[in-house]
Amino acid sequence: MRWCPSLLLFGFLAAVNALSSSGNRLLVVLEDAEEKGSYSTLWGDLEGRGYNLIFESPKNEQLSLFELGDRAYDHILLLPPKSKGFGPSLSPKNLVDFMNSDGNVLLALSGKSTTPSAISSLLLEFDLHLSTDRSSVVVDHFNYDTLSASDKHDVLLLPRPGSLRPDTKNFFGGEGVLAFPSANPHTLGDNSLLAPILRAPTTAYSYNPKEDSNSVEEVFATGSQLALVSAMQARNSARFTLLGSVESLQDKWFSATVKAPGGNQAETANRDFAKQLTAWTFKETGVLKVGKIEHHLAKDDITVEDLNPSIYRIKNETVFSIEVSEYNYDRFIPFTVPTNDALQLEFTMLSPFHRLTLHPTATTANSTIYNTAFTVPDQHGIFSFRVNYKRPFLTYLEEKHEVTVRHYAHNEYPRSWKISGGWVWIAGLWSVVGGFLAFVFVWLYSVPASSVAKGKSKKMQ
Amino acid sequence: MAESTSPVDALLKGSSGRSARGLLRIIILVTIAAAAVSSRLFSVIRFESIIHEFDPWFNFRATKYLIQNGFYDFWDWFDDRTWHPLGRVTGGTLYPGLMVTSGVIYHILRFLTIPVDIRNICVLLAPAFSGLTAFAMYLLTNEMSSSPSAGLLAAAFMAITPGYISRSVAGSYDNEAIAIFLLVFTFFLWIKAVKNGSIMWGALAALFYGYMVSAWGGYVFITNLIPLHVFVLICMGRYSSRVYISYTTWYALGTLASMQIPFVGFLPIRNSDHMSALGIFGLIQLVAFADFVRGFLPGKQFQRLLTASIILTSGLAFVGLIVLTMSGVIAPWSGRFYSLWDTGYAKIHIPIIASVSEHQPTAWPSFFFDLNFLIWLFPAGVYMCFRDLKDEHVFVIIYSVLASYFAGVMVRLMLTLTPIVCVAAALVLSYILDTYLKTSPGPINRGRSSEDPSSEALRSARTPEVGISSYFSKAVTTSATIVYLLLFVAHCTWVTSNAYSSPSVVLASRMPDGSQFIIDDYREAYYWLRQNTPANAKIMSWWDYGYQIGGMADRPTLVDNNTWNNTHIATVGKAMSSREEVSYPILRQHDVDYVLVVFGGLLGYSGDDINKFLWMVRIAEGIWPDQVKERDFFTSRGEYRVDDQATPAMRNSLMYKMSYHNFNKLFPMGQATDRVRGTKLPSESPQLSTLDEAFTSENWIIRIYKVKDLDNLGRDHSNAVAFDHGNKRKKTTKKKGPRVLRSE
Repeated sequence: MRWCPSLLLFGFLAAVNALSSSGNRLLVVLEDAEEKGSYSTLWGDLEGRGYNLIFESPKNEQLSLFELGDRAYDHILLLPPKSKGFGPSLSPKNLVDFMNSDGNVLLALSGKSTTPSAISSLLLEFDLHLSTDRSSVVVDHFNYDTLSASDKHDVLLLPRPGSLRPDTKNFFGGEGVLAFPSANPHTLGDNSLLAPILRAPTTAYSYNPKEDSNSVEEVFATGSQLALVSAMQARNSARFTLLGSVESLQDKWFSATVKAPGGNQAETANRDFAKQLTAWTFKETGVLKVGKIEHHLAKDDITVEDLNPSIYRIKNETVFSIEVSEYNYDRFIPFTVPTNDALQLEFTMLSPFHRLTLHPTATTANSTIYNTAFTVPDQHGIFSFRVNYKRPFLTYLEEKHEVTVRHYAHNEYPRSWKISGGWVWIAGLWSVVGGFLAFVFVWLYSVPASSVAKGKSKKMQ
Repeated sequence: MAESTSPVDALLKGSSGRSARGLLRIIILVTIAAAAVSSRLFSVIRFESIIHEFDPWFNFRATKYLIQNGFYDFWDWFDDRTWHPLGRVTGGTLYPGLMVTSGVIYHILRFLTIPVDIRNICVLLAPAFSGLTAFAMYLLTNEMSSSPSAGLLAAAFMAITPGYISRSVAGSYDNEAIAIFLLVFTFFLWIKAVKNGSIMWGALAALFYGYMVSAWGGYVFITNLIPLHVFVLICMGRYSSRVYISYTTWYALGTLASMQIPFVGFLPIRNSDHMSALGIFGLIQLVAFADFVRGFLPGKQFQRLLTASIILTSGLAFVGLIVLTMSGVIAPWSGRFYSLWDTGYAKIHIPIIASVSEHQPTAWPSFFFDLNFLIWLFPAGVYMCFRDLKDEHVFVIIYSVLASYFAGVMVRLMLTLTPIVCVAAALVLSYILDTYLKTSPGPINRGRSSEDPSSEALRSARTPEVGISSYFSKAVTTSATIVYLLLFVAHCTWVTSNAYSSPSVVLASRMPDGSQFIIDDYREAYYWLRQNTPANAKIMSWWDYGYQIGGMADRPTLVDNNTWNNTHIATVGKAMSSREEVSYPILRQHDVDYVLVVFGGLLGYSGDDINKFLWMVRIAEGIWPDQVKERDFFTSRGEYRVDDQATPAMRNSLMYKMSYHNFNKLFPMGQATDRVRGTKLPSESPQLSTLDEAFTSENWIIRIYKVKDLDNLGRDHSNAVAFDHGNKRKKTTKKKGPRVLRSE
């Protein structure tokens, strides 16, 4: 019965690993150990989804994100520091290196404390901008919780976010209302890798409570330009999420009752939203995987040798197919392209010669096979099949497969009779041959005219 | 022995009938061939059996492909490792003669169970063919002169003259290696055909012409020289059935043969360069017809008819040519053709042609350098041809005039001048020697003159020379000649050894103490590429190094020495001469993984990329005149500088940055010196943000940079580099103008 525990362990590991598509070692950076208790529901939820939570204080000198050059953790959850920064081991450079080696980061800020300048400069690298004083809160006089912030109006009540654009998937939607107490707002630059998850309502503005004046002189940003939660997905699909209000993750707000001005009392959906947010950041959702890619000539009986040739000829009929799966919490499911969007194939040399929509043709238990057929353009060169599918909240698909497109070989052209333009010359050729034969025939079989000619020919001899 | 030599004797036209003479001739010719081969082996002995320079590397690579994949695959070869991403239809755009020749030799040797490495065949092909060239030269010159020594002298000249050696040392595996032999031999066969009016010799000339077409683009020289010869003969009133038979045979068969080469294809009937041959073919039909008609018509009527028909047909032909050229049926003259007539043409219109050093006009000293005393015997030889003006002498005269002009226009065409210089000089020298050495017209001479009726004029010319009997004048003249000949040999050996025997892949220099110092940076760098980069990593470099990278490093290149696509080369030129922000998208678009530059500043190697840089700028400017400007690379005083006075365009160009990146770290502060330009460099190294230095060879001649991927966080490379250096980004708080709102 020795194998029993190992089997159990194996099953356990499988169950655990099944949760995030990129590992379960989650580093939680929490400066104040006493605060740990106020987020216990979040920790419970994360552990319930299989994460191995490691709590560390940023002051810990031993803390290192890398061990022997490899990542020591798969994900980091950063809670706002009380002191000036996160310390040397969590410097912006280290965090960027962590992301460059495929680690994911969830950074939560708070409007109650001043954000350290190190974090501000890290965010600047992502083109996320905090207000200059770094301690603003979002205030909205129309969408606030009348029960807890009747005075300060700094607990925002928001509906769950819809999809960013009509052609993107929504990973954060649902029923209910979200409460965002003392949210630290930020704005987004024009980095194409950024996407806002939750924007402030149009009536919100940013306000520094430490300022004494009653009115706001110079607003950092207003309305929906203020983002409360934003996501940045690096080119290697490492994810970084900035959450403006760490308080929204607290137990208190997971199950609070709120009431908007003129509205009814409602339970907050923060717990659900926190699950979606951590799941997305730690790659439980929105992860695409490419299975096998096949391209071959369009013919009926395809053997293994015919698959993925390295060379095509111009004007070949070609079929391309790609298998795509999407990770959804604990397993891969077939990926479906959102309506209004298309997965496209480019056949490119310097610029695309073809840009074709790939259509789903088959579905397996956990993948969809997309497929298209086309004629290779009449241009030889080194082409590549490219699938470049980069959408907000989905990991990037960038596939590039080089193939050579050659010219016609000398024996692949139509010849002789098949060229109708050549019939004239063929007729000429054969008429000369025929004429010559006829001439020889006539010459050989014509009877000499007379004996005089004979005599002459003798003389000549 | 006598029996074995007698058929060869007949071949060599040993007129004595005595076997000793024929045997001697064979021995002399074999010795000449041996001298030809051995004088070309300096580079193999000094360095090693290695392919030289640039183009030979492509030929070598193509030969290897031919041997590995067979002839048909070679024929249909689409090369996806050059001109990325365009590729090259190599099988259809090369002259296959050279590779096929080596391939055939390789397979014959294998069949004889002599396994020889293909590299050695390629290295030694040019010397081997130079021996054959000497033999062909002997045959050609023998057709020109009745003197028995002229042929041997010409063969000896051809064997060792530097003008030919420059292109045929061991390792110089280029088309010219076999083409010069074919050129000389085709001319010999043509002269033979004209002399005999024989279809057989004409057909043989066509056959070798076809071989020549398959081997070298210089075949156009033959295509135009032979019709010109015929035309001049017709104009001199020397039309005969011999000329008619030989020319029509040669033209019909030769054109068909040349059209079998895919690269030539339909050019013989569509390209202006070939129109003279076609025109003469038409003309000779008319002349033949006129000749035929003359037999039936009285003189006066015939004259009128002839004048009228000549005016009419030439007018029609001219108009037809113009119409066809305008309508595009006949391709207009190529740029290389124009640059033959106007030496400034290429520099203005096609910088890519002008940038090649061998397309520059020849400097006068190089005539003496390459031909030594042959060059001043040459006019005398041409004069000798005028004295004895037979059909073949007309050929020599035309050839001399044309080749002299072309050799003056382009350095590389010195090669076509060399054979005729050897012929002419041999004619003169043999005449001098015959005059001074033979005291009396011996029995041999008499027998020859009775045998050969065509030397009637020569005998009359020779009458006075019989009188020279003074031993003093004989001694002076012959010893002077011998001194000249010895000097010639010494000069040729010296030139060959010093100027033409460097592989240019491996450089040799002398240390201060006189010992040899081998600079092997090229191979070091190419081998690094071969060992350390993925098999399909694309390398961008200036086109000069394309063939070498393809051959030695076996990596795909963007451009190479087959400069068929000016735009693609200009793209590389633009990437090299622009700012990093402009270059980087170009590099990305062309999938470039590594960029290679040649930098001679540490060693004083003057053939480096900074010295070639202006050509890159000019070629790029030809395509993008508003983005790259040559003027920007000169200071306000018109100087081309690389020090702190360098223009901003220069200092920000990718080429400058790559060349001088971290160069100053080799020197103490502020002491960095470029030894090619002889200037002090700025104390700060240029900063590269889109490239990473990957490799620098021992003497810094080759520097290889890796192109960075896009920044993972979507930043500019300069920002990313600044972040990596620990600089905090300044927050841009106050932007002028209205706030830019973000919308999805």
